[in-house]
Amino acid sequence: MAFVETKQLKKYFKTPGGTLHAVDNVSISIEKGETLGVVGESGCGKSTFGKTLMKLHEPTSGEIWFDGVNIAPLGPKEFKPYRSRIQMIFQDPYASLDPRMNIRSLIAEPLTVLGGMKDKKEIAKKVDELMNSVGLARRLGNSYPHELDGGRRQRIGVARALALNPEFIICDEPVSALDVSIQAQILNLLQDLQEERGLTYVFITHDMSVVKHIANEIMVMYLGQAVEKCNSKELFRNTLHPYSKALLSAIPVPSIHVERKPIPLQGELSSPINPKPCCRFAVRCPYATDQCRSEEPELREYCPGHFVACHRIGEI
Amino acid sequence: MKENNNKTVVSVKDLCVHYETHEGIVEAVNGVSFDIKKGECLGLVGETGAGKTTIALSIMNLLPHPPAHVIEGNIDLDGEKILSTDENGKVTEKSTKEMLKIRGKKVSMIFQDPMTALNPVRFVGDQIAEVIQLHEHCSPKDAMLRACEMMEKVGIMPERYKEYPHQFSGGMKQRIVIAIALACKPDLLLADEPTTALDVTIQAQVLDMMRTLQKEQETATLMITHDLGIVAEMCDKCAIIYAGQIVEYGTLAHIFDNPLHPYTIGLMDSIPSLDKDVHRLTPIPGMVADPMDLPCYCSFADRCIKCRENCRQGDPELIEVEPGHWVRCFQYQMKKGAL
Repeated sequence: MAFVETKQLKKYFKTPGGTLHAVDNVSISIEKGETLGVVGESGCGKSTFGKTLMKLHEPTSGEIWFDGVNIAPLGPKEFKPYRSRIQMIFQDPYASLDPRMNIRSLIAEPLTVLGGMKDKKEIAKKVDELMNSVGLARRLGNSYPHELDGGRRQRIGVARALALNPEFIICDEPVSALDVSIQAQILNLLQDLQEERGLTYVFITHDMSVVKHIANEIMVMYLGQAVEKCNSKELFRNTLHPYSKALLSAIPVPSIHVERKPIPLQGELSSPINPKPCCRFAVRCPYATDQCRSEEPELREYCPGHFVACHRIGEI
Repeated sequence: MKENNNKTVVSVKDLCVHYETHEGIVEAVNGVSFDIKKGECLGLVGETGAGKTTIALSIMNLLPHPPAHVIEGNIDLDGEKILSTDENGKVTEKSTKEMLKIRGKKVSMIFQDPMTALNPVRFVGDQIAEVIQLHEHCSPKDAMLRACEMMEKVGIMPERYKEYPHQFSGGMKQRIVIAIALACKPDLLLADEPTTALDVTIQAQVLDMMRTLQKEQETATLMITHDLGIVAEMCDKCAIIYAGQIVEYGTLAHIFDNPLHPYTIGLMDSIPSLDKDVHRLTPIPGMVADPMDLPCYCSFADRCIKCRENCRQGDPELIEVEPGHWVRCFQYQMKKGAL
């Protein structure tokens, strides 16, 4: 069994308009020390998936296996020992930090709350260590988040996630709010930490080039479902699902020699509330047939290790 | 390109804008000059706080006074002096009343966030018709018809004329904003990160539509973005801006195939590529220069890997290293001097 696995994980929300299928039957498996990239557009359920993985949302059904234990049915008390082993880095370093706490107390917070550390000297030592490992200068310790730029703030977020020596970190768009020159710094930091500590990541992003850079395995999500899942290199070499193809072709390439032929996608994301039993991408898909509009495709292994959910795979 | 395309639509000269705040003076734009010709698209690329939006707001004459303070500069928009500085250094701006006739007619702006750019309590169609009626002095009925035409052009069914912005998705709201901006066929369009808030597949649709309309109306465009990919796709020329100064300016071939300024090179290297496999990215060290505390020497020197002693002794000038390719860096100044 892999280090982290989900089986048929579902998260539904009840809304006045019906049941919103935010995450629908998502199964993943990640080996220790590896990175799974989750890509998709806004509203495809990637953040909900991340939050459900660490039980910030209670899963509707399905299993979450972490280090040999199914943590999905665990109550808050039973889950507590796992909290420190699973951590999260949030997207917006402006909104995820308490503006009234200085850097040192922000980083010390998890140590006292979950780590049970009481000795002030010990905490101070650990905070120094953490600030050092994420590249924050010690002189910044007494500053407040508003005094720092986005890159440094995100380093605080990384330090807080690392404080309890977790084994598994869910990174929810950790670089989307940052400028490109700073984005590269944070990506390198995350890679270094992974190599040093053998961390396992789920890396949620909408940016294909970032996910290609950082992930070993990639899952492409569309309206709560995985539509394609395979090794990172394979996905870019042999893109199979029409949505993944369109997504890749839509990215503007910073070169004037690449002739880009975007696959035009009609319309926008349909509603995830009470979806009909059909391929959810069918309304926008240029290859959709009657079968696609009446029958839900299953995620199946098209070639070894390459999973696709499409009726017309092989024909198109 | 046709002959009549060579007409300069907007000319910005030595623009210098500071914000005077309680904490100190933010030197947002420090001597920026550029021209945009008819039908041409200039990309303005830079990071947060580089002064991109301030430049656009200066052209629109929408800078908030206070705290904004125009130190000097001339902006000439198709014969209209939006901003001028006389010999004594006195800055004159066009009055609000005069600007009302220019905004929407001669120059339009698309804002980054379509969610906040539209009036939430008016029909989207009426918001398009409003600008047409104001500038073309036509009857409300004609304005409505023209607004429907515009909606069709940006790919929204005119049947949705009487709907409110909250009934539209982000991509469609941005289409409405673009329809408002282009309704009176302005000479100049300022697009401030028009697709940053949108998903990639929607971004592709919106960019495609913008390109078609821009070609059709021959609008001069200033495309403000942080995404070099969008520049490669949409623009003819590109200006890289850092700490309120243009550090490199040239055609796309100059910028993408022969980038010269260390900042431009750094930017290109720090983007993860879809074609190449690299194990580690090469980030630009340090943080973006603080516009409140700019050094008196080259503002990029503190992050530059090629920084030498003389880089900290003065501010380099923007010089032309090959026809049409300008760089602000001492490396090339010296080479030029040696020649």
